[in-house]
Amino acid sequence: MNPSIPPSSAEYGGGTVLIRRDEVSAIVLDPGFSTTRAGFAGEDTPKSLIPTYYGQYSISSQQKHIFGDDIFVTPRPAFSVHNPISRDGVVEDWEMAEKVWEYSFTSRLTGTRSGNFVLNGLDDLHEDEPSREMEGVELEEKPLADSPLLMSECGWNPTKAREKTIEIAMESWGTPAFYLAKNGVLAAFAAGKASALVVDVGASNVSVTPVHDGMILKRGVQHSPLGGDYISSQIRALFKTNSPQPITITPHYLIASKAPVDAGQPPQVTYKAFPPDKTPDASYRTLLEERTLTEFKECVVQVWPGPNRLSATGPNGVANEELAKSSPGRPFEFPDGYNQVFGVDRYRVVESLFDTKAAILDPDSPFPAPVQAQAIPELIKSALNGVDVDIRPHLLANVVVTGASSLLYGFNDRLNQELIQNFPSPRVRISAPGNTAERRFGSWIGGSILASLGTFHQMWISKKEYEEHGVSIVEKRCK
Amino acid sequence: MAVADVRDMLDLPADGHPRPHKKQKVVEKRPEGITRELYALLGERAPPIAITENRYKGRPKWMSKVKVRSWQMTPFTNSARTDNLVLRHWQRQQDTVNNVPPPDGAEMDVDGKPEDEAVLTAEQEAYHFAKYNVRAQMPKRYTDEQYDRHLRSDEWTREETDYLMDLVEEFDLRWVVIADRYECQPQPSDTETGGAALVPAKQHRTMEQMKARYYAITASMLALEHPPSEMSETEFELHEKMVKFDPERERTRKELAALQLNRTADEVREEGILLEELKRIVANEQTFIAERKELYARLEVPISVGNTTMYQSSQGLSQLLQTLMQADKSKKRRSLLGTEGSGASPASQTPTQNILSGLRDSRADTPIGPTPTTATKRTAASNTHQTLKPLTPAEEVRYGVQHHDRLPSGVQFRNDRAQKLTQAKSNIQTQKLAAALAELEVPLRLVMPTERICKEFEKLIHSVNLFLDARKVAEKVESEIRVLEAAREERERKERESVQGMTKDIADVKLESEDRHIHVDGRSIGHAAESEALSDEIDDPGDSEDAPGEADADGENDVLSSTKDTPVREKEAFTTAHKRSASVHSIISNRSTKRQRK
Repeated sequence: MNPSIPPSSAEYGGGTVLIRRDEVSAIVLDPGFSTTRAGFAGEDTPKSLIPTYYGQYSISSQQKHIFGDDIFVTPRPAFSVHNPISRDGVVEDWEMAEKVWEYSFTSRLTGTRSGNFVLNGLDDLHEDEPSREMEGVELEEKPLADSPLLMSECGWNPTKAREKTIEIAMESWGTPAFYLAKNGVLAAFAAGKASALVVDVGASNVSVTPVHDGMILKRGVQHSPLGGDYISSQIRALFKTNSPQPITITPHYLIASKAPVDAGQPPQVTYKAFPPDKTPDASYRTLLEERTLTEFKECVVQVWPGPNRLSATGPNGVANEELAKSSPGRPFEFPDGYNQVFGVDRYRVVESLFDTKAAILDPDSPFPAPVQAQAIPELIKSALNGVDVDIRPHLLANVVVTGASSLLYGFNDRLNQELIQNFPSPRVRISAPGNTAERRFGSWIGGSILASLGTFHQMWISKKEYEEHGVSIVEKRCK
Repeated sequence: MAVADVRDMLDLPADGHPRPHKKQKVVEKRPEGITRELYALLGERAPPIAITENRYKGRPKWMSKVKVRSWQMTPFTNSARTDNLVLRHWQRQQDTVNNVPPPDGAEMDVDGKPEDEAVLTAEQEAYHFAKYNVRAQMPKRYTDEQYDRHLRSDEWTREETDYLMDLVEEFDLRWVVIADRYECQPQPSDTETGGAALVPAKQHRTMEQMKARYYAITASMLALEHPPSEMSETEFELHEKMVKFDPERERTRKELAALQLNRTADEVREEGILLEELKRIVANEQTFIAERKELYARLEVPISVGNTTMYQSSQGLSQLLQTLMQADKSKKRRSLLGTEGSGASPASQTPTQNILSGLRDSRADTPIGPTPTTATKRTAASNTHQTLKPLTPAEEVRYGVQHHDRLPSGVQFRNDRAQKLTQAKSNIQTQKLAAALAELEVPLRLVMPTERICKEFEKLIHSVNLFLDARKVAEKVESEIRVLEAAREERERKERESVQGMTKDIADVKLESEDRHIHVDGRSIGHAAESEALSDEIDDPGDSEDAPGEADADGENDVLSSTKDTPVREKEAFTTAHKRSASVHSIISNRSTKRQRK
């Protein structure tokens, strides 16, 4: 279509053509364990992407917090990093979660209210004059006073957490309209499907969500902790038992200078010295190590693509492990200059997502050894067993893969192989966007689509309804 | 050589066609931003990379003349909502010059009214997306009285029924979701009833139970509203469908579906193979039926039912001949058309040969006609079969597929062929063969003449024939030997008589005869053993007793006569149909050949 020709009214405003959008400048907030995504509905990627982790330090016995990307670059004394969300994906620390989320949209989308004289300290002098019309002013102070807010949640979010969420949105942020959608449903929408089996491989969790007609089937929702952080722990376990020498990850902030070394040689590096009273908390180092591991996952780690398990033999009788060994290795250089080529090990660290017997055992790991029921094929199996048999083939034909950890090289091939092996008769079709951003922000994009639909605007929970029914309305309306 | 020269040579008028213009050289336009000198350096060839200036595309020129239309953030309400939530969206501002209807199609007049209010009122009239707010049509809810009278159930309490109806309404009859979300809280009234309900069993309802209950309720509500006799057709159909809902059947159907879903890969593969096979068989059957039809059409004899008096005159006869010729011609054309596809020329030739020879000849030819076609068709079928899937030798055996270099014309039964083998040239030989087969307990007529059995049978007949031949030769040799022996005996006796008469050197003669005795003895060992074996088998001791009776008193003759007798006995053994194992036969034949050599 010629872009210079204005769209006809029937096309744009809805009607016969598929574009049925009506944007009301809603904000879509998709809080995850690792990152929090926020942006305006109708856009294709979230404008604001911040880590859910926040930094905490105290200066002159006053607690200060750091949000956003700044947490990576401030090795302050006794600086500790926390996450308000538990490993299960449910919010633990509501106070801090609210702050992190608020930061996610105020930092880039709405901006902080400059006229907020109650909070910015300029008005402190008049504290003894409580006679101001605080009620009228307060409405203006709320950060989301003129944007409806669509938030996402995991499929197993308890009622209490949902009610708390709407309370925060309505009371603290003052949004005129609110909706809470399941991120599985949103990811299905992002793939253009109303019914799908969503496999979301996130940082803290792998979840499988059957979605039927835009609604999740609660009995089919499955999740296990074998997500990105689990893979990190597996990589750490691998590094401990690495063959030329055990590898310790030294983050960049600890390194003053380094010299190039050959592969497998001990690093030549001088470390930065932090006096004991100035060292940041161990959690800070863990966070930065995690960044290196993320890079390692992106560059080196590979999922054995099948057709069988890594420990089994392939279709032509050769052990898969041998095949994996024969493929060329991938080099990786650590921040301290140590570098090594990783051969078959790069398959081993993720093999336990599919075959938990292949897990590298490490007594120090925070993750207990996984059981077979937690492996992804098993999750899918039990998810399907939880739903009606009539829709199972349809779900298998619409498997949507989303989540940043699903970007592991070869993940989709392997998943496809496993599904075909487990379900030989129905057609299995995996739809996973090749675009990195679309895979990482699947549920946010679905939210963006949903909140900009003209037909969705009748679904919002308005402030009026909230005031009328209280927090319990979220259970009634956001099904 | 130019065209003009050719024209000259051929004396063609030069002004026939104007000389085509020389192709205009396309002069590429020098893009802006490149100096002429630099551009000249590029030469005639355009550079492989397009030289374009990197600049903002901008809008087309004509558009810059169009006035910018302003958009405005306008509040609106959604009539599908009950709470008058005011949201804001961007809206084209209406201008009187360019009367484009707003995207929402909301007509509004801009005659001095405050903008916001005008938009608001217009939107309130019709928010564009409100019309998509549709819900499934729900039947009327029952009243208390109706429930008590018609809808009571032992399985379902009133509370649970209400809960079910609520859920159905809430999820717009999406049974999958309803069954998923169904969580009926045990009623508090249960605890009041007594200690029996201390542990209120949280009933798990299957989707079928829910459906059955819902359909039962809806059907009876429908029937209450309109008795079935007054229902409209669609209503009645709906009612019938709901009344006939069978949860048990639905449950078994789902079980089967689950089974189908959880098949193993092998089963799936087998199913695929079977389906393909079925498709092939059906296709083959179709072609077979078509072929047979064609064959029948050819064999069909038109039965004349008309009166023959009109053909009695010569005129009538000639007329008949005319019509027959005509019919033949048309037939020929049709058959040509029919066989065109298969390309079997012999089949199409047969009718052409028969045009003049008349109906009878053509009928006589018909048995030959179809044979080549069937043969070609068979090969064609095997060809298609081969294109389908190459068969392994094992499979070929299983399906009975055979490859022949050349097939004899006509159809014949395998059994007949086998039968033919048992018929020898002479009657006696045939009888002998039959006797040998009977001895082996092989029936003359094969019970199950499969390909393999026929082959074996053929081999067997062949070896039996060989054996019979060998025996014949053996007997001949044997009788010759006997004659010769008898002649020698005669001669010896004469000699002896003459010797006795002359009373010559006795010792010499004796020595000689003893020598011979030993010699004969050695030869007779085999015969003796054999005759023993035979006499064991043959229940005919009289015969063996006869032999010494016949023999002369001399020891030498005794031995000789026994050897003389053996072939006779052997012969008897063969002709009398005594039970005997094949191994014995082979021993005998071995011996007879040995003897032959001697």
